[in-house]
Amino acid sequence: MGKRKAWGTILQASLAIGAMGAVLLPIFLCQTPWPTVARDYLVEHGQHESGAINLVSAIYLGYRAFDTLGETIVLLVAVIGTMGLLSRVESMVNAVGDDDNTIQTVSAFSLRGEKRSSHVLRTHLLEVVTGKIGPIVLLFGFYVMLYGHLSPGGGFQGGVIIASGIVFLALGNQQDNTSALSKSSILGGIESVSFLLFIIVAISGIFFGKGFFGNPLADSAYPVGFIVLLNSIIGLKVGASIGFMCIAMMGGHD
Amino acid sequence: MTTILLILIVLLAAYTLSSTDLLHGVIALSAISLLSAILFYILQAPDVAITEAAVGAGVSTVIFVWAIRHSQRKDDNHG
Repeated sequence: MGKRKAWGTILQASLAIGAMGAVLLPIFLCQTPWPTVARDYLVEHGQHESGAINLVSAIYLGYRAFDTLGETIVLLVAVIGTMGLLSRVESMVNAVGDDDNTIQTVSAFSLRGEKRSSHVLRTHLLEVVTGKIGPIVLLFGFYVMLYGHLSPGGGFQGGVIIASGIVFLALGNQQDNTSALSKSSILGGIESVSFLLFIIVAISGIFFGKGFFGNPLADSAYPVGFIVLLNSIIGLKVGASIGFMCIAMMGGHD
Repeated sequence: MTTILLILIVLLAAYTLSSTDLLHGVIALSAISLLSAILFYILQAPDVAITEAAVGAGVSTVIFVWAIRHSQRKDDNHG
């Protein structure tokens, strides 16, 4: 039995490597030169046209913002799916019975005040460390988000760091003080409003004759304002939705 | 340096697949993310490195650990 299993593993591994080779080999064997028109154009004009010093930000918000719209929609759908699954789990638990044991297994890092003292995983060490480090992480997230046009980073990266800060703050709350940032209604509100703002900013270029996701400030002295605005909106949206998801998974949603 | 990082990543990936304890696998996975972040930084892609460190090592580890907490720790067949 053991020998057959080992052969099966080797067969699977060699099949996987063979499939990878079949996909990658034509790329290595290909003699056609890579298309360089877009690359050269972006290197030449990207920083000047969008005003962003960080060329990565300049490209993905100045020229390819449509992709970002798709990403935010994917994130929105992921959050909706998670919330749907979680509400099913909670209703199943409520159907089984309301004794403490069941609920504890469902919300491991329970954020609710009344369950907290009985919880093994929530030690004082965790509360103190996350409570103190949370605001700093939040500040760093806003730095990465707002300086995305100058230094590496941007809306998405900053948003994920903001989400970590929100989770830290939610874990580090003392017994009765709850931060408004760990309330699911407020996080949901931030997410919806920033998605609406994102759509509004996306179509605002049409009224200035620049097209969908065109930069309305392109002719002004500071075209970079558009990228800063998009970075902030995306950062808020990503931070709120991922923070919302993590807090809901820890049992904090009502 | 790049070669060492790549070899470590492959070794950790193999360990992740073969480990019987899911928690060990998740920690190895987060180590893979951290090593890839260093690799991206060496290859001069700091934006990707930040994303990889924040998403791979941070948020996805939290989500995996949460999922493991809600499943049974031991496999019935292997005890």
